Amino acid sequence: MVDLTVKDVALRLGENEILKGVSVVVPAGQVVALLGPSGSGKTTLLRAIAGLETPFRGSIAIGDRVFFDAARGVELPAEQRGLGLVFQSYALWPHRTVFDNVGYGLKLRGVSAEKIKTRVGKTLSQIGLGHLAERYPHQLSGGQQQRVAIARALVYEPPVILLDEPLSNLDAKLREEARAWLRTLIVTLGLSAIHVTHDQVEAMAIADRIVLLDAGLIAQEGAPTALYNEPATLFAAEFMGSNNRLDGKLAENSGGRATLELFGERLFGISRTKAAPGGKATGIIRIERVRCSSTPGPNRLKMELKAPMYLGERWELVFARDTLSVRAYASAPLEPGEHYVEFPSEALWVF
Amino acid sequence: MPIVAYRLLVLGVTTLAVVAPLSLVIYQSFLTAPFFDPTAKAGFLAYSFVFADPDFWQAFWTTITIAGGMAAIAVPLGALLAFLMVRTDVPGREYLEPLILIPIFVSAVVIAFGYVVAIGPVGIFSTLAKDLLGFVPWNLYSLLALIVIAGLTHVPHVYLYSAAALRGLSTDLEEAARVSGANPFRVAINVSLPMILPAILFAGVLVFFLGFELFGLPLVLGDPQDVLVLSTYLYKLTNKLGVPSYQLMAVVVVAIIAITAPLVFMQRLLLRQAQRYVSVRGKGLKTQPLRLHGWRWFAFGAIMLWLFVTVVVPLFGITLRSFVVTWGEGVRLLNVLTLDHYRELTDYPNVIRGILNTLGIGVIGGAIAVAWYTAIALAVHRWNSGWTRLVDYLVMVPRAMPGLIAGLALLWVFLFVPFLSPLKSTMVSIWLAYTIVWLAYGMRLVSGTLLQVAPELEEAARTAGANDLRVKRDVTVPLIKYGMLASWLLIFLIFVREYSTGIYLLGPGTEVIGSLLVSLWGTGAIDLVSALSVVNVVMIGVGLAVAVRLGVRLHG
Repeated sequence: MVDLTVKDVALRLGENEILKGVSVVVPAGQVVALLGPSGSGKTTLLRAIAGLETPFRGSIAIGDRVFFDAARGVELPAEQRGLGLVFQSYALWPHRTVFDNVGYGLKLRGVSAEKIKTRVGKTLSQIGLGHLAERYPHQLSGGQQQRVAIARALVYEPPVILLDEPLSNLDAKLREEARAWLRTLIVTLGLSAIHVTHDQVEAMAIADRIVLLDAGLIAQEGAPTALYNEPATLFAAEFMGSNNRLDGKLAENSGGRATLELFGERLFGISRTKAAPGGKATGIIRIERVRCSSTPGPNRLKMELKAPMYLGERWELVFARDTLSVRAYASAPLEPGEHYVEFPSEALWVF
Repeated sequence: MPIVAYRLLVLGVTTLAVVAPLSLVIYQSFLTAPFFDPTAKAGFLAYSFVFADPDFWQAFWTTITIAGGMAAIAVPLGALLAFLMVRTDVPGREYLEPLILIPIFVSAVVIAFGYVVAIGPVGIFSTLAKDLLGFVPWNLYSLLALIVIAGLTHVPHVYLYSAAALRGLSTDLEEAARVSGANPFRVAINVSLPMILPAILFAGVLVFFLGFELFGLPLVLGDPQDVLVLSTYLYKLTNKLGVPSYQLMAVVVVAIIAITAPLVFMQRLLLRQAQRYVSVRGKGLKTQPLRLHGWRWFAFGAIMLWLFVTVVVPLFGITLRSFVVTWGEGVRLLNVLTLDHYRELTDYPNVIRGILNTLGIGVIGGAIAVAWYTAIALAVHRWNSGWTRLVDYLVMVPRAMPGLIAGLALLWVFLFVPFLSPLKSTMVSIWLAYTIVWLAYGMRLVSGTLLQVAPELEEAARTAGANDLRVKRDVTVPLIKYGMLASWLLIFLIFVREYSTGIYLLGPGTEVIGSLLVSLWGTGAIDLVSALSVVNVVMIGVGLAVAVRLGVRLHG
């Protein structure tokens, strides 16, 4: 097993520069999630790795096999890269049975009919669809189609499997099950994978490492816990998790601590900016870290409870003061009226 | 074979097939004598001769008049017909659609013959009118009649594009206007019409352009009073001077192409314009058609009247004529019924060959033509390169050459290139001419099918390890199989109907019904012509019935 290395890849589609120099390493046996909002270039990067788009700069290689190198004019066509790709729409060939869909890659590799039969059979039973081999794609449910698409990409044992939002076409409930199933499959088979998604929860659940893309550049990369707990930029902080945003003035900024001034009151937090005090600043705090209290205290703001919402396992509370709106979770509803909302200083990032 | 070689081969052969005839015509137009004449020199003699001929200018202005006149008739009627069929509750809409399209699929010469035997000076309806009224209230052999008939038979062309535009129009837009307080009439005028105006404009230019391609109608209906259009002027030129005056014909061809080529280019621009609105598709909801109430049957009657005049009168006329010995004043039809004309057909080996050849060119030739169109379409399919532009323009070249001209140009190619000459008197020449003439149409059919193949299906095969050609073989072609079959059926209909392209190529071994009809008409063999016309119509009828049965969309 070898690493996949993407170096400084830049790519244009028409006039738009979609990727502006992205470098990623996928170590053997690891799952890397490409995460980002739509238009961030994550799918384009995946397609460039697969050989379906051509960058104008940079290089892509797996071990010492160079797939693409703009400087040396090397470009291996998609069919010679030997990667597995699972499409968002699954792209199962409607004129072929499940067996033929999965077996096609082996047939192209000159595997004997007998061996194709055993290997396709093995792969299909791994994904739990051994009994559906003779069906056509349109006779399968969405979840089954998605598994066939994965089987088709796995069957010839590619060094890396590329997944382009494979779960986004499933409905919400099925998606969570498929997520757990996919993670288990990847871990059991010891696969290297790149998983493209716009869903941060999915990325954290599936990946060993997350590469967060923003407008064609890497905003931050690291382990899921690092991205969630130590966002480096405002974009990363806002993209991961559900957040409250507090716009105020930077009152102090030294020694890794910062003070945000808001409604004439001061909130202490972790500094994520190098700016000098006096300018505007933004505080970000995860919803689940906000606490409610009935008495004033440090890092607390007096706010009015507007709308309690029942979510089943908990309540979501919306507080307001002037234009500021803050959401918080609680195990029980509070009385409407004035409350003190606490923003713990170890959970408040100031950008 | 790598994909590059495949592309080079297919596009090279196509370019040669398209460009060679055109270049030869242009080359010939600058010679002072036919190209095979050793005394031929370069010069503008042919141009000055043709441009000095008052008949040429007469034909030129007549063509413009007819093209403009038929557009003026066909555009409003076609747009109205589309509105009635797509948006209102006219009775029997589902059954009317194939009937409306009949004039597109029936050969124009057959329709022209039909009008002559039905409402010509001694036609069945004319004698009937004379019996009832004492006089014939119409004169078929007039420029006006020619324009009206040309206009009425081209209503379906306008209908097709307007109806497609109307169907492509999101009904949300109309419903939004209804909810805002506009009545159905205002919706039609303020919302629907402006949205499909580009499509109507396109159809108008198309019909005007088709006016320059008219050949069968002016040949049959214009001849008795010497009304010449450019195409019939060209046709007459063949015999005018006794000696082959290729250089003069070439000049006329160049003149015609000089008019049609810009029109083709304009259509291309307008089509893009017209498709701008189509992308905003509704969700395919069945919307409530506009209720016409009392006007329902009036509208139905109007459509029926148009169908009667455009389809029933000529087809009934020609069919009846093929089963009777004669007709006229005082003749009871029941006493003159006969099958002799059909028996007579078998007396002429060339007619028998013509019928078989027509079937062959439709079935086998059509299949090979679709295969070729598919080969071209596949060569540029998913090809991210400026060269695909070349194909766009290549396809436009034959579009600017009416069938008569393409046949002539190809005849010259066969005469000009020594090793091709033996093919001249085989069906290969006819097939080549037909395939080139209908290149644009066929390409549109096949590309339309290819557009429906989702790119991921092909990309999935690429990543699984299949190279370009393998992807086309294993994924693309199997997926468009049904579309190719449908294209084959439509090309069959077109090839069986075709008459003008084969005229110059007509000879022993290359007879097809269409060109035979034109040549037999010249000899006055009306019995044979009517029987052979009916045979042709029956072939097309069977093809149409199969197409409708299989649910093939009758328009590309």
